[in-house]
Amino acid sequence: MIVMLWHNIDYVASVVLFSIGLYVVIAKENLIKKFLGLNIMETAVFAFIIALGMVEDGRPPIMTGDAQGPFASPLPQTLVLTGIVVAVSTTALALTLIIRIFRRFGTIEANELREME
Amino acid sequence: MSLTFDILLLLYLVAAALVVAQAKDLLAASIVFSSYGLALCLLWQYRGAPDVAMAEAAVGAGITTVLFLVAIGRTTRREK
Amino acid sequence: MRRPIAIALVLLSAIPLVVAVAGLPAHGDPSAPVHTHVSAHYIERGAEEAGATNLVTGVLLNYRGLDAAGEVTVIFTALIAVLAILLGTGTTPESTASSRGASDRRGADRESTVAPVSPIVSFVVRLLAPFIALYAAYVILHGHVTPGGGFQGGAILAGLFIALAMVLGTRAMQPVARTALAPWLQGAAVLSFVVVGTVGAFLTGFFLGFPAEPPLHLVRELLIIALEVGIAIGGAAVLATIFLHMEAS
Repeated sequence: MIVMLWHNIDYVASVVLFSIGLYVVIAKENLIKKFLGLNIMETAVFAFIIALGMVEDGRPPIMTGDAQGPFASPLPQTLVLTGIVVAVSTTALALTLIIRIFRRFGTIEANELREME
Repeated sequence: MSLTFDILLLLYLVAAALVVAQAKDLLAASIVFSSYGLALCLLWQYRGAPDVAMAEAAVGAGITTVLFLVAIGRTTRREK
Repeated sequence: MRRPIAIALVLLSAIPLVVAVAGLPAHGDPSAPVHTHVSAHYIERGAEEAGATNLVTGVLLNYRGLDAAGEVTVIFTALIAVLAILLGTGTTPESTASSRGASDRRGADRESTVAPVSPIVSFVVRLLAPFIALYAAYVILHGHVTPGGGFQGGAILAGLFIALAMVLGTRAMQPVARTALAPWLQGAAVLSFVVVGTVGAFLTGFFLGFPAEPPLHLVRELLIIALEVGIAIGGAAVLATIFLHMEAS
């Protein structure tokens, strides 16, 4: 299994990044920090999907006249492209909510917000 | 392709993510997150995905960081 | 106190993930399922079927056009939600400025939208602005041939707008943001999908259908470029508007 993991080092790196992001989301109280963690989780998933679509010595899937294969798979790249745009939309919305929370309560620490109830 | 470059890049990604996780200064965390996005863009360019790399460079390293910076400017810079 | 629990939870989720990842096909294996099913067809026939040399653009706008239509709807919805949150409570930025209480730690300097910018930064941004705009236009219009496309070019345009807003001050950008054209620009991505989808419906009988037969295949390329331009303008306008409203809040 260790040999297998060594060959799949991209996947392992994605899992590590995902775990770091998850840790930030769970353990940190600051809302902006939580969303930095969520962004790390998102990018880790994107990196995983891109790594899935990659092929040994693969070229970008662009079919100019004299391009020679093997080509990387275009489908995962398309999905990730969609995902990046959705990720920035959710981040913008979340940060707007955080700005409003700060204006209303004067803090963006989740534990202090819980105590205020 | 060179395995050394791969491993260096992946190690940088993990290190940058750890810095983002540990930094008490949110401004510093955002800037490191921007460099994390740029390293990811490099990795994807290297993995045969130039379209995604371009999107990540413009959106992930650029726009997202700017939005975080604006949010930090409107709230607090220090994490308690 | 929370930290050990969090680390335990993260490990609990990471271990199954690592085990699952170890069982995946080797990294870069050309016989993995991801390369043998629909992707193989895209690579073999995609360039002539979809009318885009760049297969990512072809898959995004032609094969999976509805997917991209949903995506531009998501960013448009995000804009609506951001505006609703920042403006929708009946308090304009001007009126909240006076009612900010003790929680406001920075006080009056928040009112100035022009941060002091170093003359070097200002000069470089002004110098590079036309070239960035040219690059964005190239990325958008050439997106079906070379890497790039509507989203990337739109993000570059939005980045250019944000850089200019930082150097010149957001007040200087207000005439651009407040024109009567602004709502149309923000909705450009969704509208272009509606228009191109309807044109496709007339030509092929399917919403967002692209004609593939020889006499009409030049129209298909035009339709893809129209979608790219629409996505780019819409995306750039949405991101720039979100930035301006967050900055002004």
